[in-house]
Amino acid sequence: MTYLSKTFLLFAGLALAACTNPDRFDDATGAGLDSGAASGLTGAASDPASAAYFQQAVGDRVLFAVDQSNLGTQAQTTLDGQAEWLMTNRDFTAIIEGHADEQGTREYNLALGARRANSVQEYLISRGVAADRLRVVSYGKERPIEICSNEACYAKNRRAVTVLAAGPTS
Amino acid sequence: MNTGQIISGAGHLALIGWALIGGAFRSDPPPFEVVQATTISAEEYAALVERPSAPEAVANVDTPEPPAPGDAAPPLASEPDAALQSSQPEPRETPPPDAAPDVSEIAPPAPAEVEDTPPALEQPQEDVAVVVPEISPRPQPRPAPRIAPEPVDRPEPDARIDDVVSPEVTPEDGAEVPQEPAEATAPEEAASEIVTEAEEPEQSAPTASLRPRPRPAARTESAAVDTPEPSTEAPATDQGAVNDALAAALGASEPTQDRPSGPPLTAGEKDALRVAVQQCWNVGSLSTEALGTTVVVSVRMGENARPDTGSIRMQSFSGGGDSAARQAFEAARRAIIRCGARGFDLPVEKYDQWRDIEMTFNPESMRIK
Amino acid sequence: MMRFMMSLFAALTLWAMPVQAQDSGPLRIEITEGVIEPMPFAAPDFVADTAAGTELGRNIARVISADLAGTGLFRQIPAEAHISRITSFESPVQFADWRAVNAQALITGAVSVDGAGRVVARFRVYDVFAGQELGSGLQLVGTRDGWRRIAHKVADQVYSRITGEGGYFDSRVVYVSESGPKNQRAKRLAIMDYDGANLKYLTDSSSLVLAPRFSPTGDRVLYTSYETGFPRIYVLDVANVGRRVLPTQDGTMSFAPRFSPDGRSVLYSLTQGGNTDLFVMDIGSGSSTRLTNAPSIETAPSYSPDGRQIVFESDRSGTPQLYIMAAGGGEARRISFGQGRYGTPVWSPRGDLIAFTKQSKGRFHIGVMRTDGSEERLLTASFLDEGPTWAPNGRVIMFTRETQGAQGQASLYSVDITGRNLKQVSTNGGASDPSWGPLQD
Repeated sequence: MTYLSKTFLLFAGLALAACTNPDRFDDATGAGLDSGAASGLTGAASDPASAAYFQQAVGDRVLFAVDQSNLGTQAQTTLDGQAEWLMTNRDFTAIIEGHADEQGTREYNLALGARRANSVQEYLISRGVAADRLRVVSYGKERPIEICSNEACYAKNRRAVTVLAAGPTS
Repeated sequence: MNTGQIISGAGHLALIGWALIGGAFRSDPPPFEVVQATTISAEEYAALVERPSAPEAVANVDTPEPPAPGDAAPPLASEPDAALQSSQPEPRETPPPDAAPDVSEIAPPAPAEVEDTPPALEQPQEDVAVVVPEISPRPQPRPAPRIAPEPVDRPEPDARIDDVVSPEVTPEDGAEVPQEPAEATAPEEAASEIVTEAEEPEQSAPTASLRPRPRPAARTESAAVDTPEPSTEAPATDQGAVNDALAAALGASEPTQDRPSGPPLTAGEKDALRVAVQQCWNVGSLSTEALGTTVVVSVRMGENARPDTGSIRMQSFSGGGDSAARQAFEAARRAIIRCGARGFDLPVEKYDQWRDIEMTFNPESMRIK
Repeated sequence: MMRFMMSLFAALTLWAMPVQAQDSGPLRIEITEGVIEPMPFAAPDFVADTAAGTELGRNIARVISADLAGTGLFRQIPAEAHISRITSFESPVQFADWRAVNAQALITGAVSVDGAGRVVARFRVYDVFAGQELGSGLQLVGTRDGWRRIAHKVADQVYSRITGEGGYFDSRVVYVSESGPKNQRAKRLAIMDYDGANLKYLTDSSSLVLAPRFSPTGDRVLYTSYETGFPRIYVLDVANVGRRVLPTQDGTMSFAPRFSPDGRSVLYSLTQGGNTDLFVMDIGSGSSTRLTNAPSIETAPSYSPDGRQIVFESDRSGTPQLYIMAAGGGEARRISFGQGRYGTPVWSPRGDLIAFTKQSKGRFHIGVMRTDGSEERLLTASFLDEGPTWAPNGRVIMFTRETQGAQGQASLYSVDITGRNLKQVSTNGGASDPSWGPLQD
């Protein structure tokens, strides 16, 4: 094959590659992630019955120590607020997402994230939230919010996020 | 019948005759096994939602069809092949494999890596850390593509890699005897043990500096071309023939059962032979099973201290199966032939002592556990 | 301990043979120390029997050379150095010419394209210094598009004739192709030849996929996908890319699936109420059986090749460590005792070793140990290495290496079980979680 045709192929390939939409994934799954969690349920943060208020004023996430899934006092305070809000706004259901930092193997971290999500779920239930309004999922180390590779970021990634959804969970 | 037809007829006859008989003059090729290379199923990976990006074009080519007649594979000819090639790392374009992946690894600020030599250093770790130097006192070998009994430093860039170390000989050197100019040779760089990435000494020179290594491989080959090495081969057989003729002329019964004459070899002489053979005993491409197989190999030597290649036999083996023994024997045979090609350093007056040699190749200490 | 010292000193002490007595018999010596270095080989272009074969002959020889040299056990002697040219497959080999360039092994071949468009390749392997053929000549027939597989099959033959162990070149790898930034990484399943050629995607990147595993025959792939929003196990047919989700209980997460050696059941992790245990599911009936029942995390299982035992990762001791239990469950014994955390154990196809990920002092390693936990050897070290998978012959390990920091990227690497020949595997973009399939038929 000539150089020319190789070059042509290369460019053709690049052009094709450029056609794929890199944002597809975000569009498709953003709703399931904490970052875009409230996108379907907007409302001013000033409205205390809005998801935005829950996210910002109440606080939608709690953090964990390395390898741990037990809740510190600060986490418990946040979760008390979440429970109270959920008791008031009974139309909402929630999915609790558990996460881990990148220091660990993929499958172990998946199980670790599940442990974290579960301890949040149990706490909320203990504060009176109906069990059928809460579901848990773990993303392990797949969805960090901070991307640096040191403890400052890791601390924020070891988290459980309560993501609101309207209506009963399926 | 005119002349033209006669010539034509004769020509055709000759041609047919050659076609029929000519083949008989060629040496018969060894017999052939015929095996069908079945290839993977032909189903196209169709149902994919995703728009194919660049490599997908390549992907279409690859579904190899089973070798069924009337094969419907799209004849994409050579384009995809070429695309593949460009994305394929060709061996000669990449730096020596061991060094390559390390490029991204220069940075790690060495935390106490003592622990990396696993079980040995375990318990004392934390407690002794203050007292004991962080780095193991034993000089860590640096990784090299070759593992040999003794570590060998990188050869001079000009030296040709050879199993036999020889000083450079320049024309001015030899006053009386007209000597051929010979280039300096040196053994290839070698480490005395396998150094894995996990064990690389952190304090040694930055790994990146390994990269501009003077590719000894390529050098050897190209250099070897100019050296009139083949000449060493030809005389070898000639000598053998001469020896045979001599032996016949002297009426020596073929494998002389006479007691060996001359004093036995000294320990030093035997040791020199052993060291010479082990330099060429490469177990690097043996299976783990073959590495557990000891073979006893016999060889008949010529008086020129070169092995008679055809006489090399496996006498016995232990520790592995037939197949492993065969690989082990082949490696042993290569060692004897390669390092014996220029003649071993054996005292000719003791020829009877070393005419028949039995070498035991025991890879126990070379085994990777 | 893996170290083997080869000092001359040791050799001399081993050299304790009595001085040969006066009586007759051959001179006896014992060689205990040798060298470990790549064996030089020459693989000239395959001779084209038909005009259409010229380029094919060159390409096939190239792939064979890349396969062999890529093992680190062989070293290619470049064509420029060759003295002899192979112009006819049948004419006798000029061994002296190949000895002169120090080619210890020589591969000659011929290729033609027949009327039906099939590629017919023939080859022979020679031990140059012995002047002998290794094994006998072989003919391979395949399609034109499948020429790389023909080359891989030739290389597999050469490899096993010289080393005595099975080859691994005609095999494929399924893995997770990655793109996008670290916090929004898109992942999808991809399959390729072991050397990176013939890449094909098996899923789109609309949902997160993790840790695929080949079936023992390479016809199916198990993986975990978030298609439903929750991790569930899917089984995908490689030939037609059809997939189906395996049954699971609502409100649970299932992941870390592995085929049993007979390909009929799936070993996996199931999380319920925050606790993760191991289960096994019969693929046909979809019914699951619990194997472990502990408040700790039990995951990343792997069957022994005979299917009788399972090695897995558990943090029942406080940190993740490796344990072995019978395939039906029951008591487990711990096999990892070094300092650090151990994960992702994978049983070697030969049955004698277990590859694992080890985390220690902020670094990750890929290592191997015997099945009783002895003779632990670390093969690699980096910011993040994980997820080993074995080549079909149990000689090479492929794994994921991820670089540090915000721009961190994952890619595939391979390393010989001696710890030598560490190198990156060519993939298109980011790549993780490789699973090495069997040798193809």
